[in-house]
Amino acid sequence: MKHALAPRIAAAALALAALASARAEDLVPLKVELPKPLFVGTPRPIKVSNLEPQQAAANRAPVMVPPGTVLLSRGKPVTASDSYPVIGELSYLTDGDKTGVEGSYVEFGPGVQWAQIDLGARCRLAAVAVWHFHAEARVYHAVVIQASDDPAFKTGVTTLFNNDDTNADGLGKGTDLAYVETYKGRVVDAKGTVARYVRLYSDGNTSDELNHYTEVEVYGQPVN
Amino acid sequence: MPKTLSRWLPLALVTLAALGLRVRDLGARPMHADEANQAVKAGELLETGRYAFDPRDHHGPLLYYAALPVAWLRGQRSLPELDEVTVRLVPALAGTLSVLLLGLLASPLGRWPSLAAAAFLAASPPAAYYSRYFIQETLLAAAALAAFACGQAWWRTGRRAWAVAAGAALGLMQASKESAPLFALAGLAAFLAARPRRDPRAGGSLAGDGLAGAAAALGVAALFYSSFGANPSGLRDLVGAYGEISGRLRAGNTGHEKPWWYFLELFTWRRAGGITFEQAGFAALAAGGLLVALGEGAPLLRWAAAYSVAVLVALSATPYKTPWHAVDLVPGFALLAAGAVGALSRSRGGPWLAAAAALAVLAMLAFQTKRVTGAYAADPRNPYAYVHSSPDVLKFRGLAEAALRRSPGGVVRVVSEEYWPLPWYFRGLARVGYWSEPPASCDGALVIASAGLADAVRARLHGAYGEAYLGLRPGFVCVVFTPRP
Repeated sequence: MKHALAPRIAAAALALAALASARAEDLVPLKVELPKPLFVGTPRPIKVSNLEPQQAAANRAPVMVPPGTVLLSRGKPVTASDSYPVIGELSYLTDGDKTGVEGSYVEFGPGVQWAQIDLGARCRLAAVAVWHFHAEARVYHAVVIQASDDPAFKTGVTTLFNNDDTNADGLGKGTDLAYVETYKGRVVDAKGTVARYVRLYSDGNTSDELNHYTEVEVYGQPVN
Repeated sequence: MPKTLSRWLPLALVTLAALGLRVRDLGARPMHADEANQAVKAGELLETGRYAFDPRDHHGPLLYYAALPVAWLRGQRSLPELDEVTVRLVPALAGTLSVLLLGLLASPLGRWPSLAAAAFLAASPPAAYYSRYFIQETLLAAAALAAFACGQAWWRTGRRAWAVAAGAALGLMQASKESAPLFALAGLAAFLAARPRRDPRAGGSLAGDGLAGAAAALGVAALFYSSFGANPSGLRDLVGAYGEISGRLRAGNTGHEKPWWYFLELFTWRRAGGITFEQAGFAALAAGGLLVALGEGAPLLRWAAAYSVAVLVALSATPYKTPWHAVDLVPGFALLAAGAVGALSRSRGGPWLAAAAALAVLAMLAFQTKRVTGAYAADPRNPYAYVHSSPDVLKFRGLAEAALRRSPGGVVRVVSEEYWPLPWYFRGLARVGYWSEPPASCDGALVIASAGLADAVRARLHGAYGEAYLGLRPGFVCVVFTPRP
């Protein structure tokens, strides 16, 4: 019996192998019929002030800071890659006006631009809060926030936030998430980094190629 | 300098300047959803030779057929080969022709006022902007000017050939857009109001020439709407289009309803987000020309006044408004402004005052044109960039190509309530599908979802996907899902 079974099993195995081989040879790429685009009329102007906050943003834990943390940046001098903003003044970044209406934000030109705040002295940074243009639903690209004692940001640079997943800014790819601008701004944990200067980068947004800041607030404590 | 050359050279130079303003960097601005939509239709006609008039969502056929010779001259024979420069050359050339035609139409005003009229149109922000925009409005305006100029020549000479030419131009107007009768009737009504005297030496037969012109108009329109005989039902659909349009206008919920003063604001002064867009000097000259027309009574100025008022009232009274309708107002306003320049030249200050006024207005118009066609061409604050695509749309193609290379058997899924102009940017890509609601399975080599549908799409994805945002247009953000390796 044993000897009779073995050939049968072998034959079955051979048959299965032949079948599999034949099936592999018979395989063709799957052709999926995809729906074509529908022709429609002129899109309507959308008047949406904000998207619903993404779930991640809604669940984002508040940034925890040490007792005695104060606002360090109010009224501090601002420099930028675009020295002659198209709209507004550099001082708008630290003037305390976060409303987002005309006259409260500064507009820089297209492409990668940065704005830098001089805190006047080395400080232990607890958090950086940034408001870009937030009067409509938009996302700013390649947002990077760094701190350093070097005003040229060539040495001793600490990156506090980087959602530049394509390295558009040339500062390395980041893994932080992009976010939709709202009136709440984006608060970034500075983790006690000690620095005098804070620099913020961006590379346009989902509405246009320009860069905007309504307000930047740097929280922490002076080192001495 | 020979007399002919000195007579025509200034107009030729103005026309050349107009051409330069209209063809510079044609490919730079992202495609508006309407441009993309129509460019894809033009591409299908180019590739298949087939076109059927769609009365529901599209205007007349002329725009698509006009793209064919431009594409052929540039060596393009299919939709993937078609590009922004090719399609936008159509309105650019039509807009340039408009400048020449207006200069000819305005010749009874005198040499320098007629040149001023042409220059005002050449430098006009809405005229220049939409001469770089693949939609019907500039073709309609050019055909209207051709009809008026040929009609003027017929009135002056009585030659039937001019009547036929005017009729053919009317047919081209109709082949551009269904609103053509509004402008034709406004032109006729203005002619009756202006009551120009006819030269007794002009011959011809009013009835005979009228019939010949009407036959030309009907023949040209029928040729295009029937797809040159291939689709006779297009003629029936043209009639049905008016029912469709009036139904939508009666419903009053197209989403494009605007206040009655919308066009007045466009032609005077408007500030948005820190940027000023204005044509106040031009509007002031045009208003001055209106007063001159009411007072002095030169027939062409009376015609321009009646035509401009008729068209402005008609457009303003209609709740449905889009900024490209401003193109239809510019020629009449330019004639009136030229009339004001002419009146100034006869005033105490004389030619110097007229020249200073004209040059000052031209400088302002040129500055504004540079602003609206240059740095702010796609900016949401630009009143002519109406519901315009964001520069982000230029990034989608690269992402799709990379995704399909990484995943040779995969598909690109676009899941969004609105997705134009993406089909234009994805032209020629083999495996792209479009859904207005999330399908059962949303997996793909790349998945582009509107922010409004992103949660539903995310729930129907298997495996890990990275997420990024790209804008379709201001206020409309897409989430781009890319499978993680």
